[in-house]
Amino acid sequence: MTDTGEAAVARGEKRETVRQPLVRARGLQVRYGNRDVLAGVDLEVYRGETMVILGPSGCGKSTLLRHLEGLERPMSGSIVVSGVDLGKASRQELRRVRRLMGVSFQSAAMFNSMTVGDNVALPLREHTDLADSTIRLMTRMKLQQVGLSGVEDLYPAQLSGGMRKRASLARALALDPEILFFDEPSAGLDPIIAAGIDRLILRLKEAFRMTIIVVTHEMQSAFLIADRMCMLDRGRILAVGTANEIRNHPHPRIRQFVQRIPDAYVGGSTQYITDFLDE
Amino acid sequence: MSFFESVGRYAIRQVEYVGALAIQFWLGLRFAIRVNPFAGRRLRWKRVTHQMAEIGVRSLPVLCLVSGATGMIMALQSGAELRRFGAMEAVINLVGTSMTRELGPLIAAIVVIGRSGSAISAEVATMVVTEEVDALRAMALDPIDFVLAPKYLAMMAMLPCLTVAGVFSGIVAGGVFTYFALDMTLLMYLRRTVEILLLRDIVSGLVKALVFGSIIVHVGCLEGFLVTGGPEGVGRSTTNAVVKSIFLVIIADLLCTAFFYFFWR
Repeated sequence: MTDTGEAAVARGEKRETVRQPLVRARGLQVRYGNRDVLAGVDLEVYRGETMVILGPSGCGKSTLLRHLEGLERPMSGSIVVSGVDLGKASRQELRRVRRLMGVSFQSAAMFNSMTVGDNVALPLREHTDLADSTIRLMTRMKLQQVGLSGVEDLYPAQLSGGMRKRASLARALALDPEILFFDEPSAGLDPIIAAGIDRLILRLKEAFRMTIIVVTHEMQSAFLIADRMCMLDRGRILAVGTANEIRNHPHPRIRQFVQRIPDAYVGGSTQYITDFLDE
Repeated sequence: MSFFESVGRYAIRQVEYVGALAIQFWLGLRFAIRVNPFAGRRLRWKRVTHQMAEIGVRSLPVLCLVSGATGMIMALQSGAELRRFGAMEAVINLVGTSMTRELGPLIAAIVVIGRSGSAISAEVATMVVTEEVDALRAMALDPIDFVLAPKYLAMMAMLPCLTVAGVFSGIVAGGVFTYFALDMTLLMYLRRTVEILLLRDIVSGLVKALVFGSIIVHVGCLEGFLVTGGPEGVGRSTTNAVVKSIFLVIIADLLCTAFFYFFWR
């Protein structure tokens, strides 16, 4: 069921958003010691679409994301972002590509020694020659965009988890990136805040037509925000398709994941507890 | 794993470490030169001044205390021996030259390793663990430029200053001893010390301070960047930074001393 852009267009889906691959991974292999973390991953993400990478814990989602972000060089295979092969790119090329990206980390990764305002202003101060007053204004605007006002002078430690995630998103948006990466946007957040983050992602998608790549294992959130989904398991892609295609996919592992069915060995251990209690 | 395999593996790891240190040193030097307050990189310069206060100003009291105590100990120990030969005045030469050439920079380095080297390593390691270093790279910022270069510049500026302050404290403490033992005023003592000190002594002390400063920052940062695991890893990297810095500083001290002995007598 691996989708191509043409196939999606032929079906009339996302006619406007699916155009050309902005991010393309080919035969991506990553090995840590004797363990294959990614075993030949092929993935294309088209301009303007939201791709959600799904999979159980430890399946290689975050490793794949780190490679797509250019934080790790591929051991084998290639990753092309905006026409630049990240594995062969020079420092300057890598720098140029990274300026097209915004990354919101799982832990928010805010600089604790700086105020929230300075955190958001950092990319602007480093990569532009804008005057301080303009940078302050833009910082306020970016924070307003993610629903945070009046927190410029607070330190990240003074914010709640959800606020930190949003502040981190404001920093990722500072340079108006073409591609936005989210690593587990709703991890550790209560359902109301998580729903707020989902709504924020949808709003960004509609307002700026950004290409968004999200790694998550929250099914509800994934089905809400995704144009297409990629199901990863044990370092391999099981399927790529729309939310509906993934929801109704016949692959047993995908069905198990979507329907939240525990693994056999987990069931076994529960049986053991039940037997013990019965005795 | 056989004995030879273990030895080989260990040797490769050490060579890799030295290689990483050399690459980091080269990049750090390149970025440090670019941290220029007049080139519009105000944020970097602000970080440099912050680090200067952290490394220099805050280490000053403890350094003066330790150097003063060392100067006094040296005067007392050498005085006890030299009294037997009626050469008590040689205490002035001994304290002056050994503090300037050797003990001043070494004590400054050890105090800074304890205070700042460990703090640098813990800070960088925490940044790695909390993904802050990844965030920098994702923002197209080089962690060596953003994290290491300001610390490096601050250390290069402050360790020679601390060394001068430490040497002065040690010499003054020696003067307290001569005041009581030789009935010599502090002013006379200082005048004698200035007379016996050569340019070579001062230059060798300051060069050592610069070399030691480089080692402290680079080892501290590299240990931080190489951290693996969570908070446990941070603790491990801090311990490694302190142990490796002290070891390398003493080896570098030996090499510098040998260099000045053979090439600038």
